[in-house]
Amino acid sequence: MSSSTSVGDLVSQPYKYGFVTDIETDKIDKGLSEDVVRLISSKKGEPQFLLDFRLRAYQQWLRMEEPDWAALGHPAIDYQEMIYYAAPRQQEKKASLDEVDPKLLETFDKLGIPLSEQKRLSNVAVDAVFDSVSIATTYREKLAEHGVIFCSISEAVKDHPELIERYLGTVVPSNDNFFAALNSAVFSDGSFVFIPKGVECPMELSTYFRINSGDTGQFERTLIVAEEGASVSYLEGCTAPMFDTNQLHAAVVELVALDDASIKYSTVQNWYAGDENGVGGIYNFVTKRGHCRGDRSHISWTQVETGSAITWKYPSCVLQGAHSVGEFYSVALTNNRQQADTGTKMIHVGPHTRSTIVSKGISAGHSSNSYRGLVQIGPKARGARNYSQCDSMLIGDQAAANTYPYIRSQQPEASVEHEASTCRISADQLFYLQSRGIGFEEAVSMMVSGFCRDVFNQLPMEFAAEADKLLALKLEGSVG
Amino acid sequence: MIRPDADTLLEIVDLQARVEDKPILKGVNLTIKAGEIHAVMGRNGSGKSTLSKVLAGHPAYTVTGGSVRYRGADLLDLEPEQRARLGLFLGFQYPVEIPGVSNLEFLRVSTNARRMEKGEEELDTFAFEDLVRERLQVVQMDPAFLERSVNEGFSGGEKKRNEILQMALLDPLVAILDETDSGLDIDALRIVAGGVNHLASPENATLLITHYQRLLDVITPDYVHVMAGGRILRTGGKELALELEDRGYDWVDQELAVLEVA
Amino acid sequence: MVAAMSNSAAVAASTWVTTFLERLPAPAGELEAVQWRGREALSRQPLPSRRQEDWRFTDLAPLTALAPVLAPSSAQVGWPEPAADVFRLWLDAPDDLLNGQSLPAGLSILSSDEVQQALGHTLAACNCEQHWPVELNQASATRVLALRVSGAVVPTLELVSQAAEDGVMRPVRVLLLLEEKASLKVLQIQLGSGCSLSSLVMEAHLGRESTLRHGLLALGEGQACFLGHLAVEQEPRSQLESVWASHGWALSRFEPRVVQVDGEATTSLKALQLADGQQLVDTHSRVEFRGPEGQLDQLHKAIADDRGRSVFNGAVRVPRAAQRTNASQLSRNLLLSNQARIDTKPELEIVADDVRCAHGATVSRLQTDELFYLQSRGLSASVAAGLLKRGFCEEVLRALPAAAAAWRPLQRMLGED
Repeated sequence: MSSSTSVGDLVSQPYKYGFVTDIETDKIDKGLSEDVVRLISSKKGEPQFLLDFRLRAYQQWLRMEEPDWAALGHPAIDYQEMIYYAAPRQQEKKASLDEVDPKLLETFDKLGIPLSEQKRLSNVAVDAVFDSVSIATTYREKLAEHGVIFCSISEAVKDHPELIERYLGTVVPSNDNFFAALNSAVFSDGSFVFIPKGVECPMELSTYFRINSGDTGQFERTLIVAEEGASVSYLEGCTAPMFDTNQLHAAVVELVALDDASIKYSTVQNWYAGDENGVGGIYNFVTKRGHCRGDRSHISWTQVETGSAITWKYPSCVLQGAHSVGEFYSVALTNNRQQADTGTKMIHVGPHTRSTIVSKGISAGHSSNSYRGLVQIGPKARGARNYSQCDSMLIGDQAAANTYPYIRSQQPEASVEHEASTCRISADQLFYLQSRGIGFEEAVSMMVSGFCRDVFNQLPMEFAAEADKLLALKLEGSVG
Repeated sequence: MIRPDADTLLEIVDLQARVEDKPILKGVNLTIKAGEIHAVMGRNGSGKSTLSKVLAGHPAYTVTGGSVRYRGADLLDLEPEQRARLGLFLGFQYPVEIPGVSNLEFLRVSTNARRMEKGEEELDTFAFEDLVRERLQVVQMDPAFLERSVNEGFSGGEKKRNEILQMALLDPLVAILDETDSGLDIDALRIVAGGVNHLASPENATLLITHYQRLLDVITPDYVHVMAGGRILRTGGKELALELEDRGYDWVDQELAVLEVA
Repeated sequence: MVAAMSNSAAVAASTWVTTFLERLPAPAGELEAVQWRGREALSRQPLPSRRQEDWRFTDLAPLTALAPVLAPSSAQVGWPEPAADVFRLWLDAPDDLLNGQSLPAGLSILSSDEVQQALGHTLAACNCEQHWPVELNQASATRVLALRVSGAVVPTLELVSQAAEDGVMRPVRVLLLLEEKASLKVLQIQLGSGCSLSSLVMEAHLGRESTLRHGLLALGEGQACFLGHLAVEQEPRSQLESVWASHGWALSRFEPRVVQVDGEATTSLKALQLADGQQLVDTHSRVEFRGPEGQLDQLHKAIADDRGRSVFNGAVRVPRAAQRTNASQLSRNLLLSNQARIDTKPELEIVADDVRCAHGATVSRLQTDELFYLQSRGLSASVAAGLLKRGFCEEVLRALPAAAAAWRPLQRMLGED
């Protein structure tokens, strides 16, 4: 009989990215004040407009309260006990990868993101961010030939200040919410992508975020701009070492799509989730928003969320341009004591805007997995359409799956449709697959990936198989 | 086909099993040799479906006594998937729907698992598609079913044909068909039976579980066993099935009553 | 973002409650203790604010525009004759509720001891005994219709309340205890017009294998407001079918709450709410399964036209004890004007793996292809639209107890009178 393995045991595979790289870092003392904000800005040699932006955000943050409406259970975060800037100690960003500290290259090798010339992924350009700082970006020259800018946001501030000034904070204003204000005040690095008019980015772009320090908050900022007719596909990956304390990750991602532009943003999030008792792990409080500013523009979010102790994240689209399209495809898997509260907002402003939401939540262990979504059809969004589908899979009877899809419509010439269902992996289904010679783990994995297929199909090819494997790994040991 | 010198494939000795706390099988004895077709008949609740599930290794059933040897080795020690890979096949009475899992993918993974066990090479997607299209003809199934999720939204007859298709792909040594005839109209029954007959060979054996004669009109059994109260009460040739059809099951109940008193 | 209540609005809200309480007569009668409790609670708990998640979409301005007082009623305006199989009670009757009639077989009035014991029990089980609209009712209701139901009651019990005079408040409180295997059909008619406030709190306890078919027809006019609470506890194998329809109130908020105490019960909820003019119609429903194998079938329909606003919040809770629950909820909304607004928010909370829960929501106008089909058969656009609207409404209205037909719900709701 299959007593030896149960789906319950299948979930709890050890976290294999939990190592710490021993490297000297340059840190600002813990705590947050106006001086710290000024210090961050001066360490990065920023122009005045950016310092002003940070200081304004800091003042706004001081007046805001940490939100508690999502009913996430976590101990209060002491913002004065956190380090806001940590960078691996190396001189100026190296012109050539050969000069990058080999320890860092080795770290990314171990994470499966080789950066060196010989081993790097073909057809994917990678920006590697270690703690708060971008350490290397591959394929920059090749991209530059097409006019594509792909670099760390700090470099963009130096090299393309006019673009930063024009777009930074225009999608997620610094006073948008508590964590966005905090990020705007202290963000250290992140990626910048600019695709000029009419250019189809010749390769996948990818940023890989690695938190290494135990007491550092991670506040990266990503800005992607696609001008008229441009298109790009971008992927971020995230891991962190295992610490028994919680680290805060409060990133802001802004996407701007002008007329006929298209941005596809994919995330495979595998931050450390804490142990089976809920000790340690990342607090992932992220603000992601795309602005379909131009007519017929298109923004698509795909996320595979498997890590973090707490995830609180709603990648959204403001559909302003006529006939613009927003999409959200999500798989969120929670296990042990993880809490995920994730979903999207589709704000239909312009006429004939369309959006699609496909959310797949898998809850195992004692975890809690919530879909929270908003579809808002404004008075001018004639002919707007939304379709949402939210499915939950429950594994074991201790996990929670909640669905809060909120719909607001003020436009009669629009249609909104929402469907949700729950399912589980039944013993009968497992037995059926087993009785055809398919092993227990493979059977579970087949069913989970079948459940997630609509989302995985949206991932760039290079990463779809990876996501499949990641999910199978995370589920090892939990179905019973 | 009965051959005295044929290899013994399955040997069930005094098999006892329960589900939860309820004993269902109370000492089943049955030997199946290569080339033979056996039919187990009996009323609902006689234990015949339990027998098929225990043989396939369903986790809800606990074996409490007796033994089952499959080609000389202990079957009960094996996980369900190992039994399948070694050539034991269960055609389900109620094939399970598995949304999201593509039928084609499922068939390919299971066929390859069986092939690897037999020391044959794995089939890639293309080679497998060729094979599956050929085997589809055995059950006259529309290739469109390959693109759907496993059994999802299939009619009763389509599900049963999908079972026989799996049997045709997995090439089992012992095929146990649990009420394969239930819920089939006469045409579907003929197609399914045709498939079973087509796949029968001197090397393999079939165990039909049914309570109607009509399946046995199209698949001729070598042995018919009558099951009641978790035991095989009587064994005979195909004429025993006809006798049951004539006389009904009442005499079985009487024999069982005598047995239970004793 | 949440609309913050300005300071002056907060002051106005607290003044409204104070004034309301001052105008109430001194507590007296069988509900004296409850009245004291309700008044005390209200004085501590100001009006709900839109900062509370449950009230986010509910603007109470139409309510605070009223200055309601308790006053005896005299009017029975526009009531049809009760049909032969209907036993009608006038809940605002100045004297005895029964008014000399004897109750149909199977119904009996609870003794005051029994009322003492049972009143509020189901509200507490449904966790809503401290809700503001409930406290408002408790502060003001002077009597309760408390009935025991044994066996199968043949006639439909029709409970009518009407607030037709300006400035009046009509609190209605009902308690039903259905014994094992009992069955009852209840039709509640709530009518309001002018600057009046209707308040309803009904509790029902359904014993094992009992059946309650409940219909609520709430029809308002003008500035009238309606606040209703229905709390039902269901024991195993009981059946609840509740159908409500609401239209015409400046503000209507109805909160049905059902708890299946040990699962294994069947709950069917159907609703139709219409908002036109400047009306706001709001339903907050909640169904909780506290045991296994419960069933829920919920259909909520809404139409918003003119500058009307429709709100639906439908919570379904399936905790771990509720394995093998089968629940479905569907919210269907028609938005017919570009000044109208629909807010709909299903809430599904599940902690049990072996369950089937599905919910869906749609918001759209009338289907173009359906309209076109009718037009292609020679119907004018407006006639075609009218037909489709009717069809949309009738699916729910048909499910009301048959006695509702006398009140002509479809004609009154669609203004075809």
